[in-house]
Amino acid sequence: MSNAQLARTVSRSVESTSGRTLRKKWGAGLFWIFLLLYGILTIYPLFWLIISAFKSNAEFFSRPFGLPETWLWENFTRAWETSKMGTAFMNSVIVSAVSLALTLLLAGLTSYVLARFNFRLKGWTMAFFVVGMLIPIHSTLVPLFILMKQMSILNTYWALIFPYAAFALPTAIFVLTAYLATIPKEIEEAAYIDGTGLWGVFFRIMLPISLPALSTVTILTFLHSWNDFSFALVFISNAALKTLPLSITTFADGFQTDYGLTLAAMTLSVLPTILVFLLFQEQVMKGMTAGAVKG
Amino acid sequence: MNTLRVRRFIALALLPSLVLYALFVFVPVVWSAYYSFFNWSGIGEAKFHGAKNYVELVNDPVFWHSLKNNVIFVLASVLGQVPIALVLAIVLHKSNGLQRFLRSAVFMPMVLSSVVIGMIWQYIYHPQIGILNFLLDAVGLGSWKLQWLSDPNIAIYALLPPLIWNFVGLYLIIFISALQNIPGEIHDAAKIDGVSGARKLFSVTLPMIWGTIQVALILCISGSLKSFDLVYVMTKGGPAHATELLATYMYNSTFSTYRYGYGSTISTAIVIISLLFIGTSQWLTRKKAD
Repeated sequence: MSNAQLARTVSRSVESTSGRTLRKKWGAGLFWIFLLLYGILTIYPLFWLIISAFKSNAEFFSRPFGLPETWLWENFTRAWETSKMGTAFMNSVIVSAVSLALTLLLAGLTSYVLARFNFRLKGWTMAFFVVGMLIPIHSTLVPLFILMKQMSILNTYWALIFPYAAFALPTAIFVLTAYLATIPKEIEEAAYIDGTGLWGVFFRIMLPISLPALSTVTILTFLHSWNDFSFALVFISNAALKTLPLSITTFADGFQTDYGLTLAAMTLSVLPTILVFLLFQEQVMKGMTAGAVKG
Repeated sequence: MNTLRVRRFIALALLPSLVLYALFVFVPVVWSAYYSFFNWSGIGEAKFHGAKNYVELVNDPVFWHSLKNNVIFVLASVLGQVPIALVLAIVLHKSNGLQRFLRSAVFMPMVLSSVVIGMIWQYIYHPQIGILNFLLDAVGLGSWKLQWLSDPNIAIYALLPPLIWNFVGLYLIIFISALQNIPGEIHDAAKIDGVSGARKLFSVTLPMIWGTIQVALILCISGSLKSFDLVYVMTKGGPAHATELLATYMYNSTFSTYRYGYGSTISTAIVIISLLFIGTSQWLTRKKAD
């Protein structure tokens, strides 16, 4: 090959690779622009909600996509007061916190027993709980309503706390038992030898050890009871006991035409979960997928 | 250790959760199966009805229509959520700033209550003030404007975007963690063999996460059979039962028309149908795994 030929081949190949990389770059760029658009599209409804919550009714019509010209912070104070959201907020906190505590305690005890002790009917007990994951929650609305009416706990906090905890148990037990199975038994055995009783081992060793799995269960259970609508709709009719999702729908029905006010109330009701999510993103995302991914 | 003490501990530790769970999850299912044979308005005496409720159910067009809507929801979730989430996961499983933003943006609706999601989309679809119709006007497609939620022919389809939007994030995160669980040696081996791009995707990556895709499908099916909140908030099953789902139909039969017996029959049907769906999906994916 002569020098000239060589130079030509080299320059041609350089040209074609640079052309290819350029096209590749363009393709990748377009792809990322498309992705970015998708991301904006998914976040837009939420963005629109928060922006519109600051608008007056007139602006809501005249500039549906623009930023508000004057930011009406009083929409939020008015929404908080007129919707009596403070009460709904407290109700949601009480119901979610108590059912969470109940779930953690009961699921913790059950998982400790299922993961560490042998007894007859152990397989059946496990199966009994796991089957619960298959039961569609709404099919129990009517019979639960009748049951709780006869127990006279309809329209009390218990009408929500008990079902939330009961329906959270199967997943919680599943996650916790699987986690405990991966933990070596030596630590508890040392404690037994030191004379610590079974309850002591449970509270002082098993619960602290299961902290990672417990946080997963916490995220799942809390989000579920905080956001639940159907149980609250059926079991609670007393306005003073309504939780956030329920009271927000009642409020929206009553103030349909005051858009800024309704949207401000909706924004206030989603703010807590959004803030928690932004603060603990990785934990929340990991927590919600526990059990779905086989390692 | 004293075996009697251990036994007592086991009994005491299991008892509270067994009682709570049996009473609030298990007993209701059995009870509703029992009440499904009665004619009962919720007050007064329940009259034994034999299988009449079931005969009515089988001949009830609204029931079949609700079931069809539920199937539409399942199909939209399986064919919408899972593929979108899979594509996004494949391009978003590494972590630079933009990827992290996109991941969080797509996941965000998962932490919101479906009530608020339903209400937001009600505003989007609203015939006079909805931003969808504003948008169509703005880009000169004013003639495409529709009564999204009050036209019986399209209302059920209008409910699908919020349904998909709500849950894509869950599957995205599931797939991302599955992709991150693929051992690094496999990528190295693929590199040495010169496998990359689409070929690597189909012959290495997808087979590696097939188990997770199966789990996602099951979650997706059972999840979309459970839909209630979104539809109840957005259309209450209307107009004229056009968007009725099994769960909303059960709710409306029981608490709007006070037919507790018939409502219980629908409840029992929901349990049976769900188990059938889950069983079928298990069976189908097992065949694929062989």
